[in-house]
Amino acid sequence: MVQAVDLVQLLIFPGFLFILAYAMFSEWVSRKLAARLQNRVGPLHTGWKGILQPLADFIKLLAKEDITPSAADGFIFTAAPLLIFALPLAALLLVPIQSIASLWSYGSVVSFEGDLIVVLFLLTLVILSIFLGGWSSSNRFAAVGATRAALQMLAYEIPLGLAAIGPAILYGSLSINTIVNNQVKGFMAFLSAPSIFALPVAFVMAVGFGIFTICLLAELEMRPFDIPEAETEIVGGWQVEYSGKKLGLLWLGRDVKLVLASALLTSLFLGGPAGPAPIPPIVWFVLKTVFCIFIVSNLSVLFARYRIDQMLKGSWQYLVPLAIVQVMAVIALNGVI
Amino acid sequence: MSEREFVIPIGPQHPALKEPANFMFKVEGEYVVDVVPRVGYNHRGIEKAMESRTYIQNLYLIERICGICSNAHQTCYTLNVEEVLGMEIPERAKYIRVFMAELERIHSHLLWLGVAAHEIGFDTLFFYIWRDREVVMDLLEMVSGNRVNYAMPTIGGVRRDIPADKIPEYHKMLDILAERTKYYKGVAASEKTIMNRAAGVGVLKKADAIRLSATGPNLRSCGVPNDRRRDTPYLVYDEIPFNVISYDGGDQLAQVLTRVDEVFESVKICKYCLDHLPDGPIREKFSPLGKVPEGEAVNIVEAQRGELIHYIQSRGADKPYRYKIRAPTLANIPSLVERLKGGYIADIPIVLAGIDPCFSCTDRMTMVDEGKGKQWDVTGEQLRRYGIEWYKQ
Repeated sequence: MVQAVDLVQLLIFPGFLFILAYAMFSEWVSRKLAARLQNRVGPLHTGWKGILQPLADFIKLLAKEDITPSAADGFIFTAAPLLIFALPLAALLLVPIQSIASLWSYGSVVSFEGDLIVVLFLLTLVILSIFLGGWSSSNRFAAVGATRAALQMLAYEIPLGLAAIGPAILYGSLSINTIVNNQVKGFMAFLSAPSIFALPVAFVMAVGFGIFTICLLAELEMRPFDIPEAETEIVGGWQVEYSGKKLGLLWLGRDVKLVLASALLTSLFLGGPAGPAPIPPIVWFVLKTVFCIFIVSNLSVLFARYRIDQMLKGSWQYLVPLAIVQVMAVIALNGVI
Repeated sequence: MSEREFVIPIGPQHPALKEPANFMFKVEGEYVVDVVPRVGYNHRGIEKAMESRTYIQNLYLIERICGICSNAHQTCYTLNVEEVLGMEIPERAKYIRVFMAELERIHSHLLWLGVAAHEIGFDTLFFYIWRDREVVMDLLEMVSGNRVNYAMPTIGGVRRDIPADKIPEYHKMLDILAERTKYYKGVAASEKTIMNRAAGVGVLKKADAIRLSATGPNLRSCGVPNDRRRDTPYLVYDEIPFNVISYDGGDQLAQVLTRVDEVFESVKICKYCLDHLPDGPIREKFSPLGKVPEGEAVNIVEAQRGELIHYIQSRGADKPYRYKIRAPTLANIPSLVERLKGGYIADIPIVLAGIDPCFSCTDRMTMVDEGKGKQWDVTGEQLRRYGIEWYKQ
């Protein structure tokens, strides 16, 4: 019986099926938001206000011809999209969404001490797969794009990790579930006995939220950090040779990554899927992640694309020192509290 | 070629190029070492086609050389034909031609600004500018009836008049354009990510610009205030007060600012034309079967992209004997290559777009012997004989 529940959790809710459906919904939200911010209408025709457009795109791509260039390294070329799709999906199983045992409680499918490190590790593996996929397709544009993806990783990986360490230190755990639990506890304690120390903590965490968001923009290859796939410069970058099912998987993988990014932001900084009781955690999860997607989409339409050297320089000059200072501030505050 | 260099082909099909042209970039990592341009993917034989059409038919052919500077080509063509005819066109027609030319400049420069924003990955600005560009497109449509090929200048004048009761409305639309463009100038000059991608990118030195015979905004952005409208005025440009914009620097930011400021000047010229529109007829009569006496003429028009040169040779028939077009992009390609060298791969699109290239205006043919690597020129007479021989076979 326990096994059946586990299977449902893994495959249907809040596992694969829910995540995939929600990934497509997130893509629609982000596209629609970006379109409205740019004075366009966005997807319109498939379903209610174009809500089924990502699904339609995916199905269309499944039916398209799938070409593997003869010069490409077939195995890696095929494996890369699978990895890019599967890794963020696996990482999402570690993020608390909704427990199926009770409507009012939340929990991830799998949880253990140190799963935050695993999630960050999986995110790095995604970039590695991107590099391998681009490099193995033996295309000049893809090679440039793959190199850029790897270079960009050098720029944001460290601030991303540091910003994630902040909450881990503050809430004394490397498990995302525990971090969320302790956040809720801390918030409740603040409500019952307001303390002046909450102010600097909130400020430091807001800075961490900002750093994490910027790094996630780079991770998601959204403007202004869509350097590895910069359409006008290197056509499609590392994914230029991908078509058909593989491209479909890449796109779905990108959507899942968007969900993972917003879910991580929610869990580490916004109290996860927890919220006042009359509304179940799943609704809070959706509300908070949509809020994160809103921030990310908003940022992505505000700027022109950086050049790779500017991005590296900016990251090491400002982002990394800021992240280090932020972690030190968290440690100091942790000692005080 | 050293081990770290490899060649990236940009074009003939590439998202940064709206028309087919080919640039072979020798790159080392992210740096561009050398560039070899190659045009000629879009040769349509327009000059030859003109020789078999009457002067009135040619009006419509010549405006289809380019979708953006159609009016500039047509203006230059009509100036040429009128010069050979010895025809003086009415003042009102001259003002309307200038009005159209400046509207076209506004629309072209706004289009370019949007494209430039797109090339550096700032799509939001691109969508906003193109939305506001619709105002000038509507204005063009109200004046001429068309959005792209306006068919306004004709031999002897213009084809449509500007009704007096519409003038206040035109003024209002021009005001909107000036106001919006002012806003975008503020965005371009203050937004840091734009500065990162435009300032100091694709620099062309003043001396190089003159040596490589750059023209138009490409030249003016290097600090050389050179403008046919002021230097060799045609139509009524000598009666209209306006400034020739030039910026020092020669980078992409200077290109942006030059074009933005030219939009303001064009708005001013348009408003002046509307205010000082003389009364009278709008065209002299020229029969569709009319013959043009023997003679030749060259006219230079300041198109949006630079100097546009047309040459006509007539032998007294109802069709031109020879017609020659030199579009500004051809003159700008050597300086473009200079701008591209030593830059980043990431800067290729914005620098390429920087000269506002129009390859379909530019394309021409040349005689080469690929085996011997030789290239030679042919005279018009040789070309005619070659054609006759070719058809005899």
